[in-house]
Amino acid sequence: MTAETARTAETARAAGPGVALVTGAASGIGAAVARRLQAAGWRVAGYDLRPSSTDVSVTGDVTDAVALAAAAAAVTDELGPIRALVTAAGYYEMVPFDQLSLAQWDRMLAVHLGGLAATLRAVLPGMLARRDGRVVAISSELAVGGGDGDAHYAAAKGAILGLVRSLAAEVASQGVLVNSVAPGPTDTPLLEPASPWRAPDYLATLPVGRLASPAEIAETVRFVIEEGSFLVGEIVSVNSGAVI
Amino acid sequence: MADRGVALVTGAAQGIGAAIARRLAAGGALVAVNDIERRPAMDQIVAEIGGLAAPADVSRRDQVDAMIAEVERSAGPLSTLVCNAAYMTMGPFTEHPPGDWWKVVNTNLTGTFHLIQAALPGLRRSGRGRVVIVTSYWGVTGWPNATAYAASKAGLIALVKTLGRELAPEVIVNGIAPGVTATPQLEVDAADAGISLAQMHERYAAGVPLGRIGQPEEIAAGVAFLADPAIGAMTGQILHVNGGEVRCRA
Repeated sequence: MTAETARTAETARAAGPGVALVTGAASGIGAAVARRLQAAGWRVAGYDLRPSSTDVSVTGDVTDAVALAAAAAAVTDELGPIRALVTAAGYYEMVPFDQLSLAQWDRMLAVHLGGLAATLRAVLPGMLARRDGRVVAISSELAVGGGDGDAHYAAAKGAILGLVRSLAAEVASQGVLVNSVAPGPTDTPLLEPASPWRAPDYLATLPVGRLASPAEIAETVRFVIEEGSFLVGEIVSVNSGAVI
Repeated sequence: MADRGVALVTGAAQGIGAAIARRLAAGGALVAVNDIERRPAMDQIVAEIGGLAAPADVSRRDQVDAMIAEVERSAGPLSTLVCNAAYMTMGPFTEHPPGDWWKVVNTNLTGTFHLIQAALPGLRRSGRGRVVIVTSYWGVTGWPNATAYAASKAGLIALVKTLGRELAPEVIVNGIAPGVTATPQLEVDAADAGISLAQMHERYAAGVPLGRIGQPEEIAAGVAFLADPAIGAMTGQILHVNGGEVRCRA
């Protein structure tokens, strides 16, 4: 570490709520979370396949445990210890189950569930050592409600909820709070312009009549991190009323 | 008044309700503080937060109507309604007198019905109406010797889910289910269990993964989040603020 970055790191530690690592920070919900946390004074590192507009941007794949461990170490060096982790990396595709290839199934689980596990393995030990950490895993209302053509996505996002609830119970007494935010259909690039989730007929079935905005999800994540001191293993559903 | 919003918090002279009133006031709302009757604790909070005193028995529709009319006359339409007032007794189910059963249900469940019906025109007029219903962990799990209370709180969860569908997007309705929280109510639980208050705290904390019971301010933070006018895509949901204590399916 250079003297310059050491000073930067010291300044970061002295001021503001701390350092957050956001996966999937280059776009959509991850980018909105990064912006929201920055606005609240957090120093934010992004980890994404593409560069993120964050204080520190690391490019990499969440299925690459080695790269994640290196990223966590580099972020800690540059900004200070990671106090908050938000896992938003992911992708979406609809495939009828009888047409779903094993490769599609495996990749969906590898990115969402494997990616969360690998990110936690890189970041959690430091949080436990300092007895200070907040983890918010982005899941989906499809994990709770399921959806036609969503078997592999819902299975992967549902597995995240099992992991979150178990890990939450395991580490709560050690100062690390683990929770999940489960968005409904949200107005991000994940939903293509022709996506059925954008169709007026579908939106009309939602109690609030519209998609959630990335800013609404981001504010929810900020609330869980900054004000959820008694939230443990909770799933906060901001889903336009799609699943109640 | 419209900018900072007008909130009514019921059962706000003590415990969780008082913490909610303080928190919403700190966030800029003009807060009407309700409790069943005017007493020093209520006046103290009203003075502390620069709010309004709004005494009424929520189980009495005439009193609820008069209270909301009075609040709206002096402050403008309600933008936030927090239904927190509750009545509770504990004892074996077989010995529960029907009169007391109905007092629990009439206060907790029907009182909330009265409040929301009476507040709805103002909430709609405000253009940013938010209703937060304080239910309970026990309404999800059930709890021995708390049948009427648990049933009333479970009823509130169904009310949240139904009104979350029925009133959106004009008025957003969500619920919060506190786990065991440090309030004067714990004295009732301790008496029921025949132990001291300190022993009661310890017994409850042992069942919480976080290793402690909740503080009223932590519940109030959740209420403030659910009342946030910037978040309109969350409706019909229950926020469980319980330190990870899970003994239920839902």
